[in-house]
Amino acid sequence: MTKARRSGKIWLLSAVSVGLVASLAYGSWEISGLLYARGQAAQGRSQDRKSIVIERSPQRVIKDQYPSFSAVAINAEENMLVVTDENLFQILEYDRRDNTPPRARLTEPKRIISGPNTRAEMMCGVYIDPVTKEVYVLNNDTQNWLPVFSRDARGNATPSRYLAAPHGTFGIAMNEGTQEMFLTVQHQNSVVVYRKKASGEEKPLRTIAGSDTQLEDPHGIALDTKNKLIFVSNFGNAQVSLPGSRGGRRSADSYGKFELPSITVYPLDASGNVKPLWIIEGPQTMLNWPSHIALHEERQELFVANDADDSILVYRAGDKGNVAPIRMIKGPNTEIKNPPGIALDVKNGEISVASMGTHSILFFSVTANGDVKPLRIIRGGPANQAALNIGNPGAVGYDTKRDQILVPN
Amino acid sequence: MHDIRYDELHDEFLVVNPFADAILTFRGGTSGQEDPVRIIQGPHAKIGGNRLDVDPIHNEIFVPDNNRIRVYPREANGDVAPIRIIEGPDTQLTRAQSLSVDPINNILVVGFNKQEDEPDGAILIFNRTDNGNVKPRAVIRGPKSGIIRINQMAVYPPKKLIVATMPGLVDLMEPPNAFLGIWTYDDNGDIPPKWKIPIGPKTTLKKPFGVVLNPKNKEVIISDMRLNGVLTFSVPEIF
Repeated sequence: MTKARRSGKIWLLSAVSVGLVASLAYGSWEISGLLYARGQAAQGRSQDRKSIVIERSPQRVIKDQYPSFSAVAINAEENMLVVTDENLFQILEYDRRDNTPPRARLTEPKRIISGPNTRAEMMCGVYIDPVTKEVYVLNNDTQNWLPVFSRDARGNATPSRYLAAPHGTFGIAMNEGTQEMFLTVQHQNSVVVYRKKASGEEKPLRTIAGSDTQLEDPHGIALDTKNKLIFVSNFGNAQVSLPGSRGGRRSADSYGKFELPSITVYPLDASGNVKPLWIIEGPQTMLNWPSHIALHEERQELFVANDADDSILVYRAGDKGNVAPIRMIKGPNTEIKNPPGIALDVKNGEISVASMGTHSILFFSVTANGDVKPLRIIRGGPANQAALNIGNPGAVGYDTKRDQILVPN
Repeated sequence: MHDIRYDELHDEFLVVNPFADAILTFRGGTSGQEDPVRIIQGPHAKIGGNRLDVDPIHNEIFVPDNNRIRVYPREANGDVAPIRIIEGPDTQLTRAQSLSVDPINNILVVGFNKQEDEPDGAILIFNRTDNGNVKPRAVIRGPKSGIIRINQMAVYPPKKLIVATMPGLVDLMEPPNAFLGIWTYDDNGDIPPKWKIPIGPKTTLKKPFGVVLNPKNKEVIISDMRLNGVLTFSVPEIF
């Protein structure tokens, strides 16, 4: 807040009233009579109005022409790498061994699925069926569908099947043993569990939600089927509700609260308003918008795409409380910028990172630590060209002092 | 975040964090992970909406929340209760999702979404100082209006104009009849917009979501969800 401007006697409120000079003197104001009268004269009754259609090209357009990679999945046996793109609304498949040469503009994908028939738009989660190679994708804030595509789908393809998913899904994990599908729901502070092959209006088998769960804007989800655990990453946007209540977002008796980001852990068969078995939370954790997560069952390590910190954090699967990560991939050499997505390739000992801020997928060894260079990079756009990161711009503002356009996402 | 408003008088901008039910005010020019200068949040504040507008002259913040409009002191910080609430059957508020306030002409315009058991969306016009169970001054609604749902709204006080994005049905990726519409404060009933910027190959718009005016350059700035972009149109005739 600038006190000097607050006490100014004359100012131009150009955002709402250019041409109106409002004289401010300790809270009082008056309007230039001439301009006000002109404004009033412009009014008229309009019962039989026909709209004046303004058909003209925009003077300026701000738009990123390259993909913003939001999530990544790997099938190592088929060398299949599938990524979702929140900017151009695409599902792209690459060969996981691709490596964009430094001077190349980008690597062309093997196939692209995109278009109004796909029921896929602002995608933020992806899964590859290990047997059928079907691709599952999650929409977040703009469509309430979970479409599934065949191995051969491309272009403006109709999904093989789709599920009417809750609004605001983000993370997906599959228990292939029980054929169950786990989804996080950002807008309900919940985890919902469906049959893997659920479709149409099918309801979830069970739901984890409520005031005891400490699900606070949940994003990523990973399963440890060996130890029968669910791991969930939370941004920390909490809803406080009466103890024992069903909770969820914006129920009648709830209100919002900022908590620290966290990883919450539940039994694999948890249902209802259950307390987490343990939590990773606190300033030493360095969690900052922890997005997609992946669990390496053999190594018993949890990998976290730490979006707002431009880093990948690694914890021991059993870590609890305010613990520092055992490894961290971060720094200018890593080329990681705003990474929402991560996938584990156990067979090849790699992680792949969706780096939304650089139009790229980055590959590292599962043991990488520090400011290390990626093993290889698949770029969807030119090197060194920053992504605009405009996603679902529900509004726009204008800073008249700095002549800047403000875009919330 | 589904709204952002710049307060030129105090050089601040405001947003709503809908996941934490909070109004956040930042200093103008904030960059990186800087803290907000004020937060309104808590059981008394009960922020329920996704959008807002700020009246920098009378120092108030307006937040739509379906069947009510809550008004907070602009300089409030912490768990501060609203100073006024427009609410009740006479208000006709059922699905208020968006609004804009005119501190010069003392007008508050409110945008509605379509609801399954209700007719298409609408624009309701109230007095800025309204409180409690009050009737709107006017309601723009009906097939001629073209309104299915209203996203972000702006007002232009010198000409008493309402500017609103109409992105069409929520589950249509590329709705056929989306547009940006401009009505006047005197409009009431089933009235088409006075001016309309349609979607289509000329404008390149597909699904207009956000709008802000730059009167200095006589520009309408539109964010488009389907393009993930921001388009600036020169529209001198409305200013």
